[in-house]
Amino acid sequence: MPTPNRRTDVPSSPDDHVRARQTLARKWAYRLIKAVAIPMGSEDLDVELGARLAALCSLLHEEPFHLAPIERAGAELVTLGHLGRPGLSCTTEVLGRGLLTLPEFQPAERYAERIAVAMGALGCGFTGANTEFVLAQQESMQRSLLKAVRDANWNLKESEARFNEVVTSSTNGVLIVDLDGRLLKANAAIGDILGHAPEDLVGIPLVELTAPGYGEMLRAAMADLVSGVAERIRQSQRMLRKDGEVARLTLTASLLRGADDVPSYFVVVVEDGTELALLQGELKRQSLHDVLTGLPNRQFFTTQLEIALRKSDPEHGVTIFHLDIDAFGMLYDTFGARIAERLLQHVAQRLKVLLVGEQAMIARFGGDEFGVLVENAQSTPDIGSIMKSINDDLLEPTYVDGHGLAVSVSAGVVHRPSRDTEPIDVLRAAERALRKAKSGRRGQWEVFHAGQDAEGRRDDALAVAMPAAWENGEITVRYRPVVQLADGAINGVEAVLHWDREREALDHDRCAGLAEATGLILPLGEWLLRIAGGQARWWRQRAQFDRPLSVRLTAHQAADADLVSRVVGVLDHTGLAAGQLMVSMPCDVLPMADAADNLAVLARMEVRTALDDFGLGPRDLAWLSELPVTSVLVPKDLVRRQDPCSAVLIQAVHALGVHVCVDGVENAEQATWWTEVGADLAIGAHFGSPLDAGEFLKKL
Amino acid sequence: MSVGQNWIPQSVDVSVPSAARLYDYLLGGAHNFAVDREMGDKVELAWPHVRSGARVNRAFLGRAVRFMIGQGVRQFLDIGSGIPTVANVHEVAQAADPECRVVYVDRDPVAVAHSELLLADNDRAGVVQADMRDPDSILNSDEARRLLDFDEPIGLLMLLMVHWVPTEADPWGLLKQYREVLASGSYFAITHFTSDREHEDSSNAAARINRAGGDQVVPRTWEEIAAMFGDFELVEPGLVGFAEWRTSGPGDMSDDPATNKIAYGGVGRKP
Repeated sequence: MPTPNRRTDVPSSPDDHVRARQTLARKWAYRLIKAVAIPMGSEDLDVELGARLAALCSLLHEEPFHLAPIERAGAELVTLGHLGRPGLSCTTEVLGRGLLTLPEFQPAERYAERIAVAMGALGCGFTGANTEFVLAQQESMQRSLLKAVRDANWNLKESEARFNEVVTSSTNGVLIVDLDGRLLKANAAIGDILGHAPEDLVGIPLVELTAPGYGEMLRAAMADLVSGVAERIRQSQRMLRKDGEVARLTLTASLLRGADDVPSYFVVVVEDGTELALLQGELKRQSLHDVLTGLPNRQFFTTQLEIALRKSDPEHGVTIFHLDIDAFGMLYDTFGARIAERLLQHVAQRLKVLLVGEQAMIARFGGDEFGVLVENAQSTPDIGSIMKSINDDLLEPTYVDGHGLAVSVSAGVVHRPSRDTEPIDVLRAAERALRKAKSGRRGQWEVFHAGQDAEGRRDDALAVAMPAAWENGEITVRYRPVVQLADGAINGVEAVLHWDREREALDHDRCAGLAEATGLILPLGEWLLRIAGGQARWWRQRAQFDRPLSVRLTAHQAADADLVSRVVGVLDHTGLAAGQLMVSMPCDVLPMADAADNLAVLARMEVRTALDDFGLGPRDLAWLSELPVTSVLVPKDLVRRQDPCSAVLIQAVHALGVHVCVDGVENAEQATWWTEVGADLAIGAHFGSPLDAGEFLKKL
Repeated sequence: MSVGQNWIPQSVDVSVPSAARLYDYLLGGAHNFAVDREMGDKVELAWPHVRSGARVNRAFLGRAVRFMIGQGVRQFLDIGSGIPTVANVHEVAQAADPECRVVYVDRDPVAVAHSELLLADNDRAGVVQADMRDPDSILNSDEARRLLDFDEPIGLLMLLMVHWVPTEADPWGLLKQYREVLASGSYFAITHFTSDREHEDSSNAAARINRAGGDQVVPRTWEEIAAMFGDFELVEPGLVGFAEWRTSGPGDMSDDPATNKIAYGGVGRKP
C-alpha cells in the first residue's frame, strides 16, 4: 500500500484538504437533511458531519488499514436521527463519490479500492446499529402497548370496582337486565324494596315483577331504548313485592352499549316510591305547618284564603282575624322562651276549641300572631261576640310550670272582603287594622274599612318621611295663647308642633299622631319641650312674656319610663322654673302604671299637670281625686257638641279645685257658650292660631 | 385524575392505524406497527413525497418552538403530539432552555404510554391522554395544572392536528376555548392540510387515509384555517405553505414544490 499523504507528485496543501472536506461535508449534510428528519439545524449538521468526515478520512489514511473502526463510524451514524435506508443510501452515494474527488485521495485509482471497501464497512456498521435501533424502538413500542393495555385494564377494573361500590352501597335498587329483559344481577337494596333475595331474582323477566297492567309500559320503554328513540327512560311503576303487596316505584332505565355501539344490557335503577312519597308528604306538611303549634303556617293560610275567598258564600262571606297576643314580649322576657312557647301552644289549642262550631281555619303567622279564617254561615256569631269569647277564655289563667298566665289578644279584622280581593291585600288590611287596634288599649279589635286603608297608607308614608323632615327643619315649634274666658286675658302659652310640607301644613295633632306611630315622638317631644322651654325662659328674661308654658304629651311620652328625667333635663338646660311648665297627659293612658307615676312625680316637682281628652271616659273624673292635677282639657269634639251635661261635669271638676280648659274653640259662639257653663280657659282658632315665636309676641 | 379521562377506558386497538404512529413511520421511526407501516406505504404510493411532507412539518415544529422561545415563551402545550421521538418539542425547547416545561397531549393510548415511558425521567415534561375535542379535560388535567402557569404566555401547538377534527365538531369553536384561557403574549402554531391547491397527490393521500377507516382527514381552505387563529395576530410571514414559514435551511423544505404548500403553517400571538 502506498502512503498517499506523503506523495510529492500531488500538488495540494493542507488548507486545500480542509476546504475540500468542508465542501463534501456540507453536501452530505444538505442531502441528508433533505432526506430524513434530523433534530439539528443545517449549520450544526454541517459542523457535525465535518467532524465525522474528518475522522473517516483519518481512518482511510491509517496504516495498517482496519475496517472495524469504519464499521463503528457507520454504527454511530444512527445517533444522528432516523436515517434509515434513505439516510444510508444518500450517505454512501455522497461519500462514495465525493471521497474519490478529495485532493487528499489523489490519484483516485490508488484509493478506489480502499474507499469502496470502507463504504461497505460503513454500510455494515450502520445496518447492524440501525437494526438494533429499530428493535429498540419496537421493543419500547411493545412496552408502551403493554403499558397502555395494562393502564386500560387497570382503569377498567377500577371503574368496575367503582361501579360495584356504587351499586352495592346504593339505597336504590339497581338491576342489570339482559336484552331479553331477564335479570342478570340485582343489588341488596332491591331485596329490601321487593322482599326478594337478590340472587332469587336472577333469570326472572323484569316484566314479571311488575304489577298487573304495568308490564306493557315497561316493555315499550325498553323497546324505545333499544331502537334509540330514547337514551334514558323514567317512569312511575308498580311492582309486586314478595308478600303480594304492590310497591309504588320510580324506574329509570338506560341501555349500555359496548364496543361498536352494540347494545349490551339495560341498567335499571329502582327508587322506592312508597317511602319517597311518605317523605315528600312529610316535607310538604312541614313546609306548610308551624312546628311548634302544629297549625298551618302563613303560607298555607294564604293559599287556603284564596280558595275560601273565591268560593265564599255571597250572602255571608268570610271574615279574617289577625290576632296578636298583648304584651307577649313582656311575658317572654319574664318567663323565658319555654313558657312562652307553652303559652303559644295553649292559645292555639284554645282557638281551635273556641271556633270548633265554625267553618274556620286557624294558622300561626309567626311570633305571637295568629290568623283565623271564618267562612261565615247564618249561625256565625258577630265579630264582637267571637272576640269576646276568645278574650274571656284566654283571660282565665292557665297554669304553665306553676305560673298562672292570662292573656288578652287584640285583633285586626277584615269582614266580608269581596270575592275577587287578592289574599295578600286581605292580609295586609287585617294587619293594618290590627296595628290600629293595638294603638288603643289591650284586648281591642278593629274592623278594617276600605277608606281607612288609603288614609292609613298615606299616614305611613308621612310617618316614614318625618325624621328627615325634622332633620331638615321642616318641623318647627309654634305657639298659641291660652286665654281666660272670663276676661279674655292671656293666661299662658301652648307650644305645638308644626310641619310645613310642600302643599300642606300639618298641625300638632297630626304631627304628634304620626310621630306616636313610629316612636319618633320620644325625641321629637323632648325637643319640643326644650325649644319651647328655652323660648319661654328667654321671653321671661326679657320681661316680654311671663305666663306659664304648656305642652301636651302623647300616650307614649306619658308612659315613657324616662319622662321625668327628660323633663328635669329640659328644666336644667333652659333654666325654666318647674312651676312655669305645665304638661298634660291623655286620660286613657293613666291606667298604665308608669303614666300615673310620671304624673305624680312631676307634680311633686311642682310641674303643673293637666289631663287631656278629659270627659270621655267614666273614670276620668275619678282620676282627679287620685292625681295632683291642676287642670283638665276638654277635647275638640266635646267642645263642638256643647252638651249641657258638660256643665255638670265642669262643676264637678271645679269642686275638686281643678280648672277647666276647652280645646279647639273655633268661634265666638262656642266661646260664649263655654264661658256661660263655667269653663275657665280656652285654646283655639278663635283666640289665635299657632304662630312662630316672633309673630306670637307681636300679636300679644 | 382528569375529568372524563379514565372513567371509561380507552380501547387499545392496534388493528387500526393511528395518526401518531403513521407520522412516526413517515419520519423514519420504528415506533409503529405493521398496520401503520402498511398504511404509510399506501399513502406513499398515492403521494410519493409524503415522507418529505412529514419531515417538513417536523422542521416547522422546530422553527416555531425556537421562534416562541425567542419571544420569551418557556412553556408549551402540544396537542396531537403523537410519539415524541426525534426532534420533538421538549427536545428543541429544553435544548434552548432547560427550564422549559412541556405538556404533550394525544388521544392514542399507545402514544401516550410511550410518551410516559420516554418522559419518565423528565420532570418538566408530561403527557395527557385526551381528545382535543375535550378542552376541559386537557386544560384541567393534573399535568397541565402541574406544569403550566396560565397567567404566563404559553406556546400552544397543533401541528398536522386540526385536520383530524371533523367540521361537525366545530374546530373553530373548540380552538376558541383554548385561545381564551391563554394569557396575553401567548403563541399558537398550526399546520393544517389544505384543500386550496389542486394537488392530486394530497387529495389521493387524504382519500387513502380516510378509506382505511381510521382517523379521517379534512383538508381546509386558507380562510378556514386562518379563522382558527381568532383574534390572535399572525406573525410574519402570516399563514403560508408550511415549508415557507421562516425557512432557514434546505432541511426545512421538500424538493417537491407542491409538498411545500400541501399544508398551511402559521403562528399567531395573543394581543
